[in-house]
Amino acid sequence: MREEVGDPERLVSRSELEELADLFDRFEFALDPLSAKAREAESEFENKVRQLFSSRIAPKYPDLGLSVFRCRVRTWCRRFLQKSSRQ
Amino acid sequence: MKACLEFEDILRINRPEISKLREIGDSFESVDQDGACEAFGQQVQLLEGAVIQCYKIAAVVARKKGGDLSEVAEVWEQMSQFCQLALEELRSLKNKYPHCGTAQLYDRVLDYKLAADKRLQAVQEEIECEKRSAIPNGLFPDPS
Repeated sequence: MREEVGDPERLVSRSELEELADLFDRFEFALDPLSAKAREAESEFENKVRQLFSSRIAPKYPDLGLSVFRCRVRTWCRRFLQKSSRQ
Repeated sequence: MKACLEFEDILRINRPEISKLREIGDSFESVDQDGACEAFGQQVQLLEGAVIQCYKIAAVVARKKGGDLSEVAEVWEQMSQFCQLALEELRSLKNKYPHCGTAQLYDRVLDYKLAADKRLQAVQEEIECEKRSAIPNGLFPDPS
């Protein structure tokens, strides 16, 4: 079952991750990696990941570093994009 | 049966554009010879097109590979190596052909190599993260 926005059991909701996946798609798989759009999407992705980490993840899981959280978000985005493009 | 091209096949098809640059570069004794800069410049443009096209295909293939991180890493590593080969040829020819678009192409290929390297490094970090760093159960929903 899919988690809905605001699911109290999740620190990061599906809709927030899907929004991150959209940004990730726009820079990681940009056909022109040097474009301003790709750079802007990367910057926005990074800001949102940092903001999520500092406001919700770090207070509850102080041993989980930002770099690990970022890695896991990136991998989640890859898998989500792969699966959603098959549908 | 479906016939599928691998990214390596795409690079193999485009690799001759790099060796042709060397062949054309060596076929003139000097850039001052009639037609030297035109011929070399034309090959510079073809090589630029090949690098850009290969990068675009790398991005599409990497997206399709999705969560198979080692395969994604392989794509970016191959793209980086292709750029490196082009850079080595350009570096050795830029003194003989200082103009003819050589310097501009060098900078552009370097930018694409750095973009591929950045993606390679990031996916390698993800591979390490999966091996070494556990995350709390249920922190993320299933991506399906």
